[in-house]
Amino acid sequence: MLDTGISPQRSMGRNPRIDLYLDLAQLISGFLLVGFLWTHMVFVATIIIGADTFNSLAQFLDDYYLSYVGIPFIGLVALIHVIVVVRRIPNRYQDYWRHARTIMHFDTWTWIFQVVTALGIAILASIHVFAVIMGWPIDADTSAARMHAFWWFYLVLLILGEYHAGFGIYRQFVKWGWIKRKTIGFALKSITVIIVALGLAALWVFVQLGGALR
Amino acid sequence: MSNRTLTFSVFRYNPATPEIKPCMQSYQLKEAGGMTMFVALTKIREEQDPSLMFDFVCRASICGSCAMLINGKPRLACKTLTRDYGTKITLMPLPVFKLIGDLSVDTGTWFRRLSVKTRAWVHTKKEFDPTVLEERMDNATALEIYEPERCIECGCCIAGCATANIREDFLGAAGLNRVARFMVDPRDERSEQEYFEIVGSDEGVFGCYGLMACEDNCPTKLPLQYQLAFVRRKMAVAGLKR
Amino acid sequence: MSNYQTHITDVLIIGAGLAGERAAIEASSHGLDSIILSLVPPRRSHSTAAQGGMQASLANCAMGKGDSTDIHFADTVKGSDWGCEQDVARLFCETVPIAVRQMAYWGVPWSRVVAGKKTLPNGQEIEDTKDKEGLITGRNFGGTAKWRTCYTADGTGHTMQYTIDSIVISLGITVHDRMEAISLIHDGEKCLGAVARCLRTGKLNVYIAKATVIATGGYGRLYDASTNAIICEGTGMALALDTGQVPLGNMEAVQFHPTGMVPVWILITEGARGDGGYLLDKNQHRFMPDYEPVKKDLASRDVVSRRMIEHFRKGFGVDSPYGPHMWLDIRHLGAKHIDTNLREIANICRNFAGIDPIKDLIPVRPTQHYSMGGVRINSEGFAYGLKGLFAVGEASCWDLHGFNRLGGNSLAETVVMGMIVGKKIAEYALGATLEYTSDVVEDAAKQQQERIDGLISGRHGREDVFQVRREMEETLMDYVGIFRTGPALQTAVDKLQVLHERAQHLGLRSSGVGANPEVTAALRLPGMIRLALCISYGALQRTESRGSHAREDFPKRDDANWLKRTLAYWPEGAVLPELKYEPVTITELPPGDRGYGESSASSKK
Repeated sequence: MLDTGISPQRSMGRNPRIDLYLDLAQLISGFLLVGFLWTHMVFVATIIIGADTFNSLAQFLDDYYLSYVGIPFIGLVALIHVIVVVRRIPNRYQDYWRHARTIMHFDTWTWIFQVVTALGIAILASIHVFAVIMGWPIDADTSAARMHAFWWFYLVLLILGEYHAGFGIYRQFVKWGWIKRKTIGFALKSITVIIVALGLAALWVFVQLGGALR
Repeated sequence: MSNRTLTFSVFRYNPATPEIKPCMQSYQLKEAGGMTMFVALTKIREEQDPSLMFDFVCRASICGSCAMLINGKPRLACKTLTRDYGTKITLMPLPVFKLIGDLSVDTGTWFRRLSVKTRAWVHTKKEFDPTVLEERMDNATALEIYEPERCIECGCCIAGCATANIREDFLGAAGLNRVARFMVDPRDERSEQEYFEIVGSDEGVFGCYGLMACEDNCPTKLPLQYQLAFVRRKMAVAGLKR
Repeated sequence: MSNYQTHITDVLIIGAGLAGERAAIEASSHGLDSIILSLVPPRRSHSTAAQGGMQASLANCAMGKGDSTDIHFADTVKGSDWGCEQDVARLFCETVPIAVRQMAYWGVPWSRVVAGKKTLPNGQEIEDTKDKEGLITGRNFGGTAKWRTCYTADGTGHTMQYTIDSIVISLGITVHDRMEAISLIHDGEKCLGAVARCLRTGKLNVYIAKATVIATGGYGRLYDASTNAIICEGTGMALALDTGQVPLGNMEAVQFHPTGMVPVWILITEGARGDGGYLLDKNQHRFMPDYEPVKKDLASRDVVSRRMIEHFRKGFGVDSPYGPHMWLDIRHLGAKHIDTNLREIANICRNFAGIDPIKDLIPVRPTQHYSMGGVRINSEGFAYGLKGLFAVGEASCWDLHGFNRLGGNSLAETVVMGMIVGKKIAEYALGATLEYTSDVVEDAAKQQQERIDGLISGRHGREDVFQVRREMEETLMDYVGIFRTGPALQTAVDKLQVLHERAQHLGLRSSGVGANPEVTAALRLPGMIRLALCISYGALQRTESRGSHAREDFPKRDDANWLKRTLAYWPEGAVLPELKYEPVTITELPPGDRGYGESSASSKK
């Protein structure tokens, strides 16, 4: 007898659209996080122009309560993102590992780093947020002091974050878009390089600033 | 002309003799000009080891029988030239598919199941009328159908796919590409919702991680990223519309 | 001891190519249960390799205007050099348009007419009209008066096979792939099914059926250089021959395709010349118009192949380590055309010869391509000699092709035959009852098990299967090629008789356990050599030239003595086939000149 293609268990037991919703949740939360991350990095990079610019931007966000809405919102989005992407991690991660080692395929390996960076970000970003909130409000001096002391922490977080964001968003374009992989890959690599450069420059300025404060 | 001696390291296992464990066996062969894996393996079988199992049919990259892992990558053996490799070549059967023996795997059964699951035929309520002219079709549409139709079901995309290696029920690029072929065919009267039933889940298009090993390994050079994204967008719209 | 599994069905079809699957659809739509056996998954069948197209006189495209079944009929009969059955050719030509439309209904994305003015490579202006836009178009092929070869870009066989197979799947028809029929079960009057060996496990299976259909394709791989897939070893024809009851028709009619690519012998489709490509010699001179001023590079395949050999003999071949060859030039068609309509050719050139046909010439040589002969059946598909046995497709000879097949007529034949014969099979099976004695079945299975055991034990000898096989391939290639002579054919027969004797003493070098490929080859070989003998001996006896059968010692067609079909029988224990002859059915077109070729008609000089 022919399989009709419709499994009664599947259509009765759970919402048949659940996989779509989860996938969309991953897509949207991912895009929001990337948007946030890039905005965040641009804002942070205002330190390059000067501590005053940085402080007044922080002040502005504070005054208009944008930080108080933004931070919990992004926290929530990040939580959703974590919940929906965890389903992608294979039950038996050995299967994936064995596959990746057999098939020497670039993108298959980048995905392993996607998981590794995700774990790293989850830990480091939590610490970072905790530290920022503890030292509220945001201002150039406190930030500089933190970064002077923990520059290696921020260097790692910066690279992990940008890697994860860059490849994550690339993968979404690949999955949904009609732009050629090469084209989108090039565009995103360029953006990532710019953001990382900005981040490094900001970090360097902060570290200098932090050194001067001492 | 080449005067290299090639060493083939070939996976051996015969399910009829389970007491002999799977192993890698080496064969030496003098390389000839323009030698393909088809020529090499046939020579090995005829001159050195007639028990060696592998599959070739058309030996012209049309039928899709001879996919195997050549130095770890899924390739059609018939169109792989030995001169593109070093002197040591490792041959393994494709993963995912059931092993028949040595380099031979059962892609036939897998793809048959796929066709049944995706109901891969033109669904129409019309009856064929032998007395009238064919229905007209734009040539551009015909070519658009032909593009995904070119898949030769060799299994390279499936063997290279992380999802297919992890979950047994995943349709893979070959399956989604096949569905795309019917989606663009105006003769197929299935609604978006019917397609959603087939591919609107993690078993179908939403199970794809987007690693694109399928496209990178496709010997027919099908635009799989384009086809998979097309199905995904269409299914997202169908799913949200209800 | 019955160490095998038994399956009972209404219709057993051996071979899952286009003809076999199309016949299965017909049987199934009559409510019959059918099982298809296949060496490989159906979609890997050699049918998929047919790139060129399927002839149907639809008269839709500009250069097909005014076409009709009558013109298609005349082309087919001329192409066959009056060797075909004209009632069959008539039935065929009338049915193809329906078959091609049915394939469209089932899903084949045929290339369609695009309205507008076009310039052909020879400078001729044509216009496809608006009223035909969107209908199935056609391309030019050798030996045809009109453009009528329907196609889907460069993958006609592929799309047809996938479409037919999709219908087989939708109907839930059982397919046992990797299952090779190794003998027919019969009681001397009626065919009862087949014994098969599973190519997954090596185990025997018995299939019992009311009707058995041979749809196993051609025997190209008897020859050393063939365009055929390596599974085309004539196994089904050998099964029928080995019954001792069923004759093979016109086995000496072997088609060589002018453009097999040197040295891998992969076919470069006739579509290349149909679309405006032409042949060049070593001086890059276009020589075909010198021989064939009218049809030029698009005379029928037998003619082009012979002209190439003639030109080689005059010293105009391009020398290579693989013997002389000609060049096929399609560069002037342009990158766009080559990369869409002839993409498959471009890929083959790039992958298998490392050349780019947009810039380079393609080395080609006539290569064995098609078996016009096969299991002799009547116009309804019934095999001569055994009730309940049928044949379809290249494996059969209902005799549409006579002594030369036109390009595009074989794909067309597969589906038309599946349709027409399939219906007859269904009618037969609906009226038949399943009667058999278990003795006959037991014996048949036991005999095959003993063959296998004999090979494994080596009790009949130690002849190497691949060695004997290679000698057979070379013998046919060297002595039964495009031009034939009495002494060469006699040499072939002598050599093959020795090889046939040696093939009775095969012994394995490997263990033979499970789905062992050496056993598979050894089981096939004796039957293959018998086919080779039918070809050679039939060719030796036929003292005339007709179509692809070109005797240098008898260069004229001899309608007075040879307007007849060879029937080759192989009685049990024989060392040579027994040849009989039957008249050719001429209903409409009396023998005449083909209008191309070496004016073979006996009436003319």
